[in-house]
Amino acid sequence: MRLLHTLLTLVGASILIWALLPLAPGDPALRTLEALGNDNPRPAEVEALRRELNLDRSLPAQYLSWLSRAVRGDLSVSWQSGRPVTAEIGKRLPATFLLAAVTLLLAVGIALLLAFISAAFPHRWPDGAVRFVAQLGASVPAFLLGLLLIQFVVIRYGVGRVIADGSVGDVWLPAACLAFGRGVEWAQLLRIGLLEALSARYTLTARARGARRRRILARFALPNAMLPFFAVIGMSIGAMLGSVAIIESVFSWPGVGSFAVTAITARDLPVIQGFVLFSTLIFVICSLLADVASAILDPRLREGEE
Amino acid sequence: MMTAERLLLLRREEFPFTPRRGLLRRFMERRSAQIGLLIAAFLCTAALFGNWIWRVPPERMNPEAKLAPPSLSHPLGADQFGRDQLARLLDGGRRSLGAALTVLAGVLLFSLIAGIAAGMIGGLVEQILMRLLDVLLAMPSMVLALAVVGVMGVGYGNLLLALVASSWAYYARLARSCVRVVRMRGDVVSARLAGIGWLRVASGHIVPGVARQLIIVATLDLGSVIIWIAGLSFLGLGVQPPDAEWGAMLAESRLYFTVAPWLLCAPASAIFLAVLAANLIGNALRDAAEVQSGG
Repeated sequence: MRLLHTLLTLVGASILIWALLPLAPGDPALRTLEALGNDNPRPAEVEALRRELNLDRSLPAQYLSWLSRAVRGDLSVSWQSGRPVTAEIGKRLPATFLLAAVTLLLAVGIALLLAFISAAFPHRWPDGAVRFVAQLGASVPAFLLGLLLIQFVVIRYGVGRVIADGSVGDVWLPAACLAFGRGVEWAQLLRIGLLEALSARYTLTARARGARRRRILARFALPNAMLPFFAVIGMSIGAMLGSVAIIESVFSWPGVGSFAVTAITARDLPVIQGFVLFSTLIFVICSLLADVASAILDPRLREGEE
Repeated sequence: MMTAERLLLLRREEFPFTPRRGLLRRFMERRSAQIGLLIAAFLCTAALFGNWIWRVPPERMNPEAKLAPPSLSHPLGADQFGRDQLARLLDGGRRSLGAALTVLAGVLLFSLIAGIAAGMIGGLVEQILMRLLDVLLAMPSMVLALAVVGVMGVGYGNLLLALVASSWAYYARLARSCVRVVRMRGDVVSARLAGIGWLRVASGHIVPGVARQLIIVATLDLGSVIIWIAGLSFLGLGVQPPDAEWGAMLAESRLYFTVAPWLLCAPASAIFLAVLAANLIGNALRDAAEVQSGG
């Protein structure tokens, strides 16, 4: 049921993504030929390509032909470089995945650390300090943080590089910028979950049986607080793709996001389509995985489905 | 602009309903609300009236003051064309803050209309609208915004349109589930029993109730709206030169950081303060709303 629903939604999304092309100004066939190096194509050539791409047919037929090509991985060619969009995006995927993975690790680390400090000393000064930092941290946009880091850390002290090359050594600064905001935000959520768990009966029982506070936090409160947290992480990965685009541009990180931003400035429609398609797929898959994960981890959900 | 809290709300498909009584008082009692409102009032006054008090035209170039450090004639320095940074900051504030409020108003308007139509009419209309919202929500909202800018071209108006188009779906869904709650409320049922038509009940009872709820959630998002407007303008996808906007100013001053680092401070702290104020207000409003619904 969930899968069928997802599939229907994806079909709807694909219609929207396809519609970007006819909505935008300019003749796709002409732009494609120009991108392939044919600066002044003859009308007959344009006409031939239009026929080949089924652009002379009705809109539903155009959509179906676009979809069947897209499913086979053919998203036409970039209007800037003339190379296939799928290859262009594929080339930049590893860098973006690396950035996203490191960001996720750092963000979860920050969230766990801060939430633990908060929950270990609720409503005392360490908790207050963490919440103060979180409030300030949530107000600094990631790209501003990145800008300041580049100016002060990279240019002043020569650590790292201004133009990143997408390798593991350079990933820390952009990942830290992205992770900081997420981390402090997640820490607040996790803190609430931990405090809720700490006031539950089972922690009282554990306390009564003589378990130490730190053990209660790690052994009893954390697993219970983690459940909603997982769902948030799953959905955030997809939602993060927008901010990834900005951070990649700030750090000149050679990933999909910065590529998409240049494509937007140049109104390179096939690349934009590819980027949206790719992000939507990631988003949908991640939220599906988050659902599956919480179903596996949470026995209550499993029983509910039977 | 998907904050983690919003994601949680989205998954639960439910939210507490807030009565109006005492909401404003509880809100104003909070320290964070007072600080936030103070900063917001300062920024808004500066953006609205600043250019009348500091009467230097933001677009006037003075070749002798290129990249000048802060001084009496240029309190925040002057940029690479010798334009006064303070005047540009004030002028840009009108665009940055105005854009955020415009986006919020647009989102609220569209989502209220769609959500209330879906919730009130029901049936096929509701089904179709909800499926459309599902599709929009299946795409990361900021990626959608980038796509809209890509199709329409870069520019200030297009940026606002893109942000509204990419984020109204979430609110529309919220509005619709809110309508379903409000419809069962005592005053609505009694008004219906008293023979008052749906149209009057909707305008008198349902719209205010739903709108209040949406505004509370939307205020939580105001900070990220400001961030996104600044961020996209920073990338050159929003406000175009020579117009001033905080994100765009940040991008310009970045190029001259080694010779004129003070240029970066002004727009950076302006953005920070604006987001901080929005977050403080949003959190205080949410806390004030939650106290009631919890008890």
